Amino acid sequence: MLLAQVLLNGVLLGALYGLMALGMALVWGVLNIVNLAHGALIMLGGYVVYYCYTLLGIDPLLALPVAMASMFATGYLLQRFLLNLIVRGALLNTLLITFGLDVVITYLGQVVFTADFRTINPSYSGANFMLLGLTVPVLRLIAFGIALLLSSALWFLLNKSGLGRAIRATAQNLVAARLYGVDPRQVYAVTFGIGAALAGAAGGLYGMISHLTPYIGSSLTAKSFVIAILGGLANPFKVILGGIVVGVAESLAALYIGPTYTDVVSFLLLVVILVVRPAHALRAA
Amino acid sequence: MQRSVLVLVIMSVIMLAFLPWIASDVMLQFAINTLLLATLAQSWNILGGFAGYVSFGNSVFYGLGTYGTAIAMAQFGLPFWVGLMLGALLAVICALIVGLPILRLRGPYFAIATLGLSGVMGAIVSNMDIAGANIGLILPLTRADPMFYELSLGLLVVTTVCVAWLSMSRFGMALIAIREDEDAAGTMGVNTTRYKVAALVLASLFTSIAGGIHAYWITFVDPASAFDPTLNVRMVIMAVFGGSGTVFGPVIGSFLLSTIYELLAFWISTAAALLFGVVIVLAVLFMPKGIADLALAKEPGWRYFLRNVREHRL
Amino acid sequence: MSATAVPVLEGRRLTKRFQGLVSIDDVSFSLAENEVLGLIGPNGAGKTTLVNMISGTIRADHGSIFFKGQPIDHLRPFQRAHLGISRTFQVMKPFPGLSVLDNVVVGALFGTGGGETSIARARESAREWIEFTGLTHRIGQSAEALGGPDRKRLEFAKALALNPKLLLLDEVMAGLNLVEVDEVVGLVRKVRERGVSILIIEHVMKAIRHLSDRVMVLHHGEKIAEGEPSAVLSDPRVVAAYLGTRRT
Repeated sequence: MLLAQVLLNGVLLGALYGLMALGMALVWGVLNIVNLAHGALIMLGGYVVYYCYTLLGIDPLLALPVAMASMFATGYLLQRFLLNLIVRGALLNTLLITFGLDVVITYLGQVVFTADFRTINPSYSGANFMLLGLTVPVLRLIAFGIALLLSSALWFLLNKSGLGRAIRATAQNLVAARLYGVDPRQVYAVTFGIGAALAGAAGGLYGMISHLTPYIGSSLTAKSFVIAILGGLANPFKVILGGIVVGVAESLAALYIGPTYTDVVSFLLLVVILVVRPAHALRAA
Repeated sequence: MQRSVLVLVIMSVIMLAFLPWIASDVMLQFAINTLLLATLAQSWNILGGFAGYVSFGNSVFYGLGTYGTAIAMAQFGLPFWVGLMLGALLAVICALIVGLPILRLRGPYFAIATLGLSGVMGAIVSNMDIAGANIGLILPLTRADPMFYELSLGLLVVTTVCVAWLSMSRFGMALIAIREDEDAAGTMGVNTTRYKVAALVLASLFTSIAGGIHAYWITFVDPASAFDPTLNVRMVIMAVFGGSGTVFGPVIGSFLLSTIYELLAFWISTAAALLFGVVIVLAVLFMPKGIADLALAKEPGWRYFLRNVREHRL
Repeated sequence: MSATAVPVLEGRRLTKRFQGLVSIDDVSFSLAENEVLGLIGPNGAGKTTLVNMISGTIRADHGSIFFKGQPIDHLRPFQRAHLGISRTFQVMKPFPGLSVLDNVVVGALFGTGGGETSIARARESAREWIEFTGLTHRIGQSAEALGGPDRKRLEFAKALALNPKLLLLDEVMAGLNLVEVDEVVGLVRKVRERGVSILIIEHVMKAIRHLSDRVMVLHHGEKIAEGEPSAVLSDPRVVAAYLGTRRT
């Protein structure tokens, strides 16, 4: 029974992890940028929801769209006026510049938000119900649902809309996309914006389930990266699935090996996957 | 290498060697830190700059050097130099074991896998009793900053001489070929695996010795500082800022960035890290090939900066 | 077991599939000492795949490759280079950040038998190959800066710097004008005079006709003809393959 409960928690949490990774996978797949500031964007989204709730009294779940919209704008501007300038540079340079951004955002966060632990605590945050003898935390279930909803939305956007076609064309072939009248600068900025918006939603949910500090970014970046590799860069649902794998692995590790190892699990998983199945990982790039 | 450059470098090293007699305590401490960081950047340069394998996990070797020295001295009462050798041995063994599987990965996969390794290693060490677990180890106290300074300077010189030799040798040529196009290098007869592992081993050796010196100097080690992930990024940035794949770039980059950071921290302590981030962003934007390339550029400053942006923008 | 009969290169019943699609289907061939074998076929026939298998960048699913009578299937690309197998790439692969000289030096340093141990001697021999291919006027330039024909020359010089016993040339003449093609034909002849065996993939039929002792034709991964050049090139099946009609 304990095992079943741990697995359930892992699955519910894992879907949220998947949502975190969704934006990173999208940006990586389309723009070929491994965004090391992705976790910092998640953190920002979390604080947007936090302040909407504490200062304006907006229900955190209703504040999620606010976080998404503001993060979309942030992401759009970052890509349009900064990252577009170096996007054709060497891989190391995109890694470094996004790392620099991570540092900047994190320390701006420290100044503006202070380093205190914050949690978003709506009235229903502790609620849960029993199902088949298992405790189901309501908030985690909601997060799970939102993760599925947003990944479906992303799938439809990419596969069934004109914008999606433009994004996919740009990812495939920049030159050809230009020939079809797509402005890659615009598409890149919008794509990065969508990635940031997804990060914003994930951050809000993360702030409700876990806690926020300005420093959570780097570990979330690492986790997102692992999941993006696990799930591949093409299919949103597989990314969510990758998140669930990591979530379950972490929960099992906490149960059997000890809670100090949870953060290591995803990395261990990554190293093992990369080494055992490099072909799979390399094709994803 | 041109004779004039060589003379200049030797003169600077000799002058630097006399620093302990004139510098204040604070300045000497800053200098030791800077020299050790420069050694880390220069070691990173061997694999990262020459072979193009961007490691974000060299702190693994730094940590092993740190802990090798600390365990030898604190747990077994062995002399410092034995500790250094033990740390170096651990690091080299680790590089050999880890190198083979991990160096098959390329690009961001290699980078993040190395980052992961440093995390894994930190967790393992913080659960080992002999390593003081989460609490850490305390080393015998020595007040001998001038000695640590000369040791650090010596290590940096040895590392840089090694890199200079590398840049002119067959070994270096193999690494550069791997950086430029690994598959083509293979079909041209370069035993890519052997050279990559050798580069990693060399990097691990110097990195671990720097860790050992730092441990004895600070007289305290714990997992958080020994396997500090930001250390990885700092050494990469310093190497790239100066010019990766060059002999003196990483050293110059480390000296400059350390100084900038120290000044920022002095004037505006809270915003220092923030401005440091801004410096990174601007450096990548306007001089992605580092100071070394800027120094060699034909056109005047601003035109050089604009050309870099033009070349890499969408 | 006569010593003269051992071919430099032999492929026995080679097969390679990519995700279910057959790229090379049960192909056998051999190449004698100092022979030039032309390998032709329409695009997608599997010619480059075959070269990749010989140089070791991909492995055969079935079948074996022998170099001077010894199987080399288990050897990695660099080990095959040490034996004396060298190749050019259809998609030219100079080391972009290196000068023309350094590009060629790499070949001299690590080529046949493990290569030159001294950088100075490697430079010396690289200079000779650069002169041989007519690139001396570009020796200090960065490889990135070279135009099409000069890139071909560099690709050639790099492959030759390994001092190969077997040279695999993958479309070194594509995109060259008639004068340039004649130049390259002359170069290949000169290389051959040095005792090198050559497998040459080419779409320029005139060159194939002039250079090859024998020609082998691949179509949809199968060998459909082999023999003396003029006979093979007039074979109706070969003509049909090139014109795109279905095989009967």
